Amino acid sequence: MSEQRDHLPTIMPTSNRPINAGAALDDDTARLDAVAKVTGRARYARDRYEPNALFAAFIRCPFGAATLTGLDEAAAKAVPGVVDVKRTGDEGRYHGEPVGFVVAESKHALRRGLRAVAPKWKRGSVKTTITDDAGPIPATEDDVAEAIANADHVIEAVYSTPVQTHSALETHGVVVDHRGDTATVYASTQGTFSVRDGIGDALGLARSEFEVRCEYVGGGFGAKFGPGKEGMLAAEVARRHERPVYVFCDRAEEHLDTGNRPSSRTHVRVGFAKDGTPLATRVHTWGGVGVARRGGGARIPSQRYDLGSVQKTHEDVQFNAGGPRAMRAPGWPQGAFAEELLLDEIATVAGVDPLALRRRLDGDTARRAMYDLGADLIGWSRRAKTGTQSSVVRRGFGVGTTSWPRIPARAEAEVVVHRDGSVEARTGTQDIGQGQRTAMGVIAATKLGVPLRLVTVMIGRSSYPVGPGSGGSMTLPNTAPAMMAAALDARSKVLEHVARRRGMEANELTIADGYVIRGEERLVGWEDACRGLPDDGVTGRGDGRSGAAHRGEGTSAGVQFVELTVDSETGVIAVERVVAIQACGQVVSRKTAESQIIGGVIQGISYALFEDKLLDRNLGAMVNPNLEMYKIVGSRDMPHIEPVLWTQGQTGVRSLGEPPVVPTAGAIAAAVFNAIGAPVRHLPLTPDKVLAAQEGGAA
Amino acid sequence: MKAFAFARPASFAEAGELLADRRYSLPVLKAGGMDVVDHMKEGLLEPDLLIDIRATGVRPAGISRTDDGGLRIGAMTTLAEIAASPIVRATAPVVADAAGSAATPQVRNVATAAGNLLQRPRCWYYRNEQFHCLKKGGHTCYAVEGENKFHAIFGGGPCHIVHPSNLAPALAVCGGRVHLTGGDRPSLSIDDLYHAPAQGVWSEHELEKNEIITHITIGPASRSGFYAVKEKQSFDWPLVMASVMLRTQGSSITAARVSAGAVAPIPWRLPAVEAALAGVRVDDDAGLRKACAGAADGANPLSDNAYKASLLPVAVRRAVLRATGRDEKEA
Ligand SMILES: Cc1cc2nc3c(=O)[nH]c(=O)nc-3n(C[C@H](O)[C@H](O)[C@H](O)COP(=O)(O)OP(=O)(O)OC[C@H]3O[C@@H](n4cnc5c(N)ncnc54)[C@H](O)[C@@H]3O)c2cc1C
Ligand code: SF4
Repeated sequence: MSEQRDHLPTIMPTSNRPINAGAALDDDTARLDAVAKVTGRARYARDRYEPNALFAAFIRCPFGAATLTGLDEAAAKAVPGVVDVKRTGDEGRYHGEPVGFVVAESKHALRRGLRAVAPKWKRGSVKTTITDDAGPIPATEDDVAEAIANADHVIEAVYSTPVQTHSALETHGVVVDHRGDTATVYASTQGTFSVRDGIGDALGLARSEFEVRCEYVGGGFGAKFGPGKEGMLAAEVARRHERPVYVFCDRAEEHLDTGNRPSSRTHVRVGFAKDGTPLATRVHTWGGVGVARRGGGARIPSQRYDLGSVQKTHEDVQFNAGGPRAMRAPGWPQGAFAEELLLDEIATVAGVDPLALRRRLDGDTARRAMYDLGADLIGWSRRAKTGTQSSVVRRGFGVGTTSWPRIPARAEAEVVVHRDGSVEARTGTQDIGQGQRTAMGVIAATKLGVPLRLVTVMIGRSSYPVGPGSGGSMTLPNTAPAMMAAALDARSKVLEHVARRRGMEANELTIADGYVIRGEERLVGWEDACRGLPDDGVTGRGDGRSGAAHRGEGTSAGVQFVELTVDSETGVIAVERVVAIQACGQVVSRKTAESQIIGGVIQGISYALFEDKLLDRNLGAMVNPNLEMYKIVGSRDMPHIEPVLWTQGQTGVRSLGEPPVVPTAGAIAAAVFNAIGAPVRHLPLTPDKVLAAQEGGAA
Repeated sequence: MKAFAFARPASFAEAGELLADRRYSLPVLKAGGMDVVDHMKEGLLEPDLLIDIRATGVRPAGISRTDDGGLRIGAMTTLAEIAASPIVRATAPVVADAAGSAATPQVRNVATAAGNLLQRPRCWYYRNEQFHCLKKGGHTCYAVEGENKFHAIFGGGPCHIVHPSNLAPALAVCGGRVHLTGGDRPSLSIDDLYHAPAQGVWSEHELEKNEIITHITIGPASRSGFYAVKEKQSFDWPLVMASVMLRTQGSSITAARVSAGAVAPIPWRLPAVEAALAGVRVDDDAGLRKACAGAADGANPLSDNAYKASLLPVAVRRAVLRATGRDEKEA
């Protein structure tokens, strides 16, 4: 129970609150852990400094390709506080690849040890970009080639996106508190159970012998599943020394070796009719997977638009860099960037409004209604035709779309009602910032019929009821039905006790606003009713099956509109407004749902305008492994973002985590094209590229 | 980071004595510490004595007017104080805007004027311990064949850094001087404070080890303007910046001083633009545009930074327009 939450402002600074009013089970509660987080009271895994802990870190290859020819283990071991130095490999294939590790009594000794090992390297030649080793485009099938050739117009273009790192504020890491025959693992993870399943062998313990805890997570975005290298190192060292061990990446390591959204190149040749209708499309994509074998897919065509008969081929391209990991809607923003900009290019050649073109090609009924609402909210009628502006500062409008399926996963939940009226809502899933803690509390409270302050949410432990990892937008769509069922089960159990004591039928009774009610009559207050429960209270249980009635079916469609300006003399883009309309079924907590959309848009803007993991072309070393030169959107670059929760005709909880990040970059690119009249086909949309596109037509 | 001794002298004189103390092999002054501490954390600098001079000097009278209508700015005045000072805004808007546009509010609250002038370059090879480049005693400038999007288009070679200071070019066009203690010289003009890499690649400025900046003076520059182009508007470094000071008679420019930042290893004066601006009327948009058009003449871009040559004339013209009180995006 959080006593602080009443002090939080209840109104979020979005201008469209009336649109969303009444959409949610809970309209105004701020996230339950907001105060703990902003005051620093929330204790993340990274904040766990156990008494007597050891600290460990990897020795990493500093170049894109290098052979380790010398390591001064003796010098490192001579550093006071250094406990162990181990060499585990000799070949570094990318900047950041581990070749050994150092263990020390303190962070300071660890740093000194890492310097004292003074590795000697023999550098090899490197490939640093997706183009270095990209294969040719496979032949086009005859019928597609013919349809393109016979079309009224053809556009052939290449689009590219950079490597984006997850840049979680809380870096990757794990703290293992090993106590011989048992252990507690504090993990910064998106999958509490995935850490449990992956780390047991390294700990030398059965899954039943230790617990994984994940109270708070400072961002994951897809890269924090399983124990990871950091967790395995922590487990191994902890087991050997039978001491607590702390392994957390520093900022550079976070950029170098914890995965990324892979770079992409998309080659498109599309033939379309006079009115812009695509007749046939040939798409070939390359995905930059670093030293990994796969994972570079770019989702184009998205299937949201009818692009005629489509032939798609793909190649994953290796180079000297860390491999990708899932990142918020893996492959989708890359694809949407190319596809949305392409549609605007087609519309411009055909002389039709790009929104009208989308309406024509998009068969989704929800999105077709969203186009109307969004056009109205952004003021699409103010959009000038592409390439017609000559002022210094030019205004652009763009639109992009998204959708996301519901991905089923096993989820269980418990709601315990104690004799003092307090309530525990339990599920093992984690809150990675998406608001899971708040959503679970809201569901338990509303379905029980009691005030939220009575509910303590207990999540993020492998000893709690099982639940999905927070990826694929699976958390709430799967845990919400289970928690609803658990709360309803607990409610019937409470009512049965009340009914039995009073000689009534349980089905005559219900609970609302903290009272047991019969008909219009408040029969008894919640706390008094609970006093009649057995000593250990009652426990309601729910899972996917019992919660099936609360499940949301169908996809989460969405549309985003962007308004921006481009300074045509400097190439600087200022995004002014984003209207983000997003279906998500039954909204649980309006604020955290809106935040989820806003966060997706922010990440999309950052991807569109700034982020770029840059490797030195000769050395293969990342030149910007920090948050100064790896640029992430800041407060002054933030537009006014208007999230619109779309609930029309929908029941059950649908996915919401990933879809809002998909369309933003594409809509921004389309808006830039609209403003300056030349497409900038390569992210990030930095001033140098904007200026080059203006000068040379298409870039 | 290595263990080091820490001193908080009560005066510049006392700081000077510490700098000369033979017991220490590498005593280093720390003002705001933004840059010094970053260097220590990255393993680029390992002082055995850190001399914190933040409490020293001429506060609270950080900024005052001089007899010639200019200003005296204490060395330990923060960028935030300069940006917020009404007398700086009235006397030299270019300096107020240069200070206010630098970095972030958090940085500006701590960063001092002297520290800003003497901060080291941001070249990503320099800043990373693992690259032993020319500037750090190695044999190669990695930027030449490598990643040089943010490097110099003027005055580079053998090292191609840009000088990162917002203040330096702004002070330069106001006839700025740094006033010194601890050495033989009482003062040095901003123009003489820096040297090109060809004159010495290991440092960017001319101060001797024992010299401490006590304060900075500038002349009156009420018709002055600053303009920076940034990729990102929060927490980012300018791609190019321009500082301009005009003297006018009626609506005609009689003399101009123009200095560009983020384009060269030193604040880069543009004498040809200065000459071309003389005689142009401040409301003659075409004339101003023409005078500024050659701002990047003679630039020598590397593989990835030619765009700076396109941006520079724009930044200079916008700084000129600001100096004349006009909206820079309308003309
Ligand atoms: C994210 C970020 C963004 C930034 N963006 C910008 C920007 O856009 N523009 C910009 O100009 N700067 C920018 N900065 C740099 C920042 O302004 C400088 O680091 C700061 O001004 C340094 O001042 P300081 O007082 O902290 O200097 P310190 O770090 O204390 O000292 C810097 C150097 O000056 C020497 N020194 C200090 N005072 C004296 C003195 N009185 N006499 C002799 N030597 C002295 C020190 O020994 C040291 O060598 C940015 C910094 C960061 C972290
Ligand atoms: S520009 Fe200068 S600091 Fe940067 S790599 Fe070259 S020599 Fe080093």
